Amino acid sequence: MEERGYEYNVVKGFAYSALFWLIIGLLVGLWIAAEMFLPQLNLTPWLAFGRLRVVHTNGLAFGFTLAAIFSCTYYILQRLTRTPLALPKLARFHLWLFNAAIALAALSLFAGMNTSKEYAELEWPLDLVVVVMWVIFAINVFATLIKRRERQMYISLWYIIAMTVTVAVLYIVNNLEVPVNLFKSYSAYAGANDANVQWWYGHNAVGFVFTVPILAMFYYFLPKSTNLPIYSHRLSIIAFWSLIFGYLWTGAHHLMLTPLPEWIQTVAIAFSIFLIAPSWGSVINGYYTMRGNWDQMRTNYLVKFFIFGITFYGLQTIQGPTQGLRTLTAFFHYTDWVVGHVHMGTMGWVTMIISASFYYMIPRIMKRELYSIKMANLHFWLILVGQLLYTVTLWIAGIQQGAMWKATNPDGSLTYSFLEVVAAMYPYWKIRFLGGVVYFVGIVVFIYNLLMTVRSPLAEQPKPEPSKA
Amino acid sequence: MGVYSRPVMFAILSAVVILVGTMVTMFVPLMLPSTQPVSEYVKPYTAVELEGRDIYIREGCNNCHTQTVRPLVTEVARYGEYSKPEEFAYDRPFLWGSRRTGPDLNRVGGKYPDSWHYQHLYDPRSMFAKSNMPAYGWLARRPLDTSYTFKKVSVLGYGYGEDEVRKQIDDYRSKVTSPDYLAKTVRDRITPPELRGQLTEMDALVAYLQKLGRDVKRLARGSHTGGVAEASGLVRNPYEGDKKAIEEGKGLFKKYCAVCHGEDASGEIGPNLRDSKWKYGGTDADIYQSISKGRPGGMPNWDVKLGKERIWKIVSFIRSIGEK
Amino acid sequence: MNWQSLAYLSFGTALVVLFLWIIVHFYRPKRKGHVEEPKYKMLDDDQDQL
Repeated sequence: MEERGYEYNVVKGFAYSALFWLIIGLLVGLWIAAEMFLPQLNLTPWLAFGRLRVVHTNGLAFGFTLAAIFSCTYYILQRLTRTPLALPKLARFHLWLFNAAIALAALSLFAGMNTSKEYAELEWPLDLVVVVMWVIFAINVFATLIKRRERQMYISLWYIIAMTVTVAVLYIVNNLEVPVNLFKSYSAYAGANDANVQWWYGHNAVGFVFTVPILAMFYYFLPKSTNLPIYSHRLSIIAFWSLIFGYLWTGAHHLMLTPLPEWIQTVAIAFSIFLIAPSWGSVINGYYTMRGNWDQMRTNYLVKFFIFGITFYGLQTIQGPTQGLRTLTAFFHYTDWVVGHVHMGTMGWVTMIISASFYYMIPRIMKRELYSIKMANLHFWLILVGQLLYTVTLWIAGIQQGAMWKATNPDGSLTYSFLEVVAAMYPYWKIRFLGGVVYFVGIVVFIYNLLMTVRSPLAEQPKPEPSKA
Repeated sequence: MGVYSRPVMFAILSAVVILVGTMVTMFVPLMLPSTQPVSEYVKPYTAVELEGRDIYIREGCNNCHTQTVRPLVTEVARYGEYSKPEEFAYDRPFLWGSRRTGPDLNRVGGKYPDSWHYQHLYDPRSMFAKSNMPAYGWLARRPLDTSYTFKKVSVLGYGYGEDEVRKQIDDYRSKVTSPDYLAKTVRDRITPPELRGQLTEMDALVAYLQKLGRDVKRLARGSHTGGVAEASGLVRNPYEGDKKAIEEGKGLFKKYCAVCHGEDASGEIGPNLRDSKWKYGGTDADIYQSISKGRPGGMPNWDVKLGKERIWKIVSFIRSIGEK
Repeated sequence: MNWQSLAYLSFGTALVVLFLWIIVHFYRPKRKGHVEEPKYKMLDDDQDQL
């Protein structure tokens, strides 16, 4: 072709950034997991659990996941529109701005500059940077879409558009704050309103960062790496609109039995149950795509990641609404159960899909063969076992914790002091740490495999076909 | 065909679709005054309490401690009266939290004396060997920065003038640096000599913790709620002189009371229980009442936590070690 | 019936009708070929600058 080719440098740049922040975020995660049973590790103010937990969540949700989303979005966008990125220079600026913002975010959170609102902890100057960065990203997405050479937009592009629009709305509204000085601000909302706005944001950050763009990857990379068309395009149309419609109503299921007006809680849980349907629409679409070709689970190493990933997504979207029901939330909320729930989504669904997407994408744009399929399989099993050890342990811990908090003697007095319940958790927290270590080793194998791929000589065949049976 | 080949239309349609739920569950409640009611009895934070709150936020205490007691029997038994919406009218941001690695703090104000908090923040494991809370002794080694306090209360619209802010800070400093301050021994031990005359970050944090839930407690004082183990009508100790009960009471005392009253009950944060001095009366029934319902100045109520029988056993143990 | 329950009811009905319309519209057999087209097209080897 005569004109400028596809812009892959920023795809690569964001992929490397994602892997870097993944390692940092996981190391911090391991450290705070150890602090749960070794409080001596709270060595300095900036290593104390209260500050580090925020570095962990922000580092992985925004440093790792968002970078991976940008990387895959820039790739998918160009391929599905059959158009090079409209503004490649702007995209390169986006890459630098992103990494500067995440580095400053980590430093400011270590220093204790945080607004306390979960997943929106950054202070106002960094909020402004994030908004500018998002606008830059959106301009490129829409400019490329408008210039596109493929008339109809495939499923993944709908999810990318929905994310681009919704994250902007969520982030700006929840972060409205009044500055006191450069490092300190107060939320624009008070008490119950602040809580309601925060969890409207918090839950939809999960929806539009950990779900919607990951589905965009799933819908693109699963057919591409199996060479099988997605089972039903029209099913995905219905699932898409009901998903993005239903999601925004559900934030208050994080606030069950709090002083928030009861009707908001009830509406939230009703829509949470409703969301099972569109979520499973995607799960079914994934499973049926493999109909008659399930042998690829053995012969194509990428399929395992996609199928296990979408399975964890399916389990996650059933567990979530269930634990939000009033009777169950009374028991499970505030326990380790919920921590286990979140990590099935992030360590199971999100990371598995991103891993497979990178395995598909990076060798292709680097014009190289994957360094080692064996190693990719090892990576799969390590992160699977690590995640299961982690989540199942915390579910059991959460059940015991909830039961001990509720236990009463025949005369109505409480059986256990708070501290006795803490003491009973130590064995679980140690196993959880072990699960985290196994998972971390899996991620190290993943990164090593990709690094060796990048450093290996150019592939002899110019276009490696997806490995098939 | 349709919106699937019109990206801008698609974006607009998506925005409309996500805004429906947003309007109904987020924007409409924001406009309704009933979502966050304001009541006379809930007072804004003082300047020092607000600074303490900002330290609570800075250190991310909300990552392990919630501040909402849910209307569930065992939760009310453990923490106290369930949370009411009007209590949070001055909370920007809210600090309800999402995980209880440590206990809920919405009712911690006034539950323990200041000395308890100084010692506990300084070294949690000196009081509870199994605790996994980080030690925050370093807060006592940092002077409190009050240069933005007036600006902060102005942003929050608490309605204090600059002089009033100054006075609140000065008053609190006089309180904690006075020789009569009840927590003086612990405070002096953990605060470096050059800072003993000023306010530290630790002082502000303790002030904030002591404010949590106090307005509600003040309101409730008139109409007593009554627990499961009322002392009324039970003037006789059912275990009087019972050797086995005294032995059990000793174990319970070690587990629940020794933290404040000392392993040998000769007093630390709480008073000496071996001597013959009784501030609130020394009969079995009086001691029962003190344990069950708590006393002002830092004795928590233990009625729903321990129940009648265990409290009487502790009473029996305390009687058995008293100087005759 | 006051206006609140009326609004509630009509909003709910409108949602259900819209939902059914989307299903009927996209599942009409004669549209199938067109609706399902992108899923095959995305598999075509898009022009790579290799």
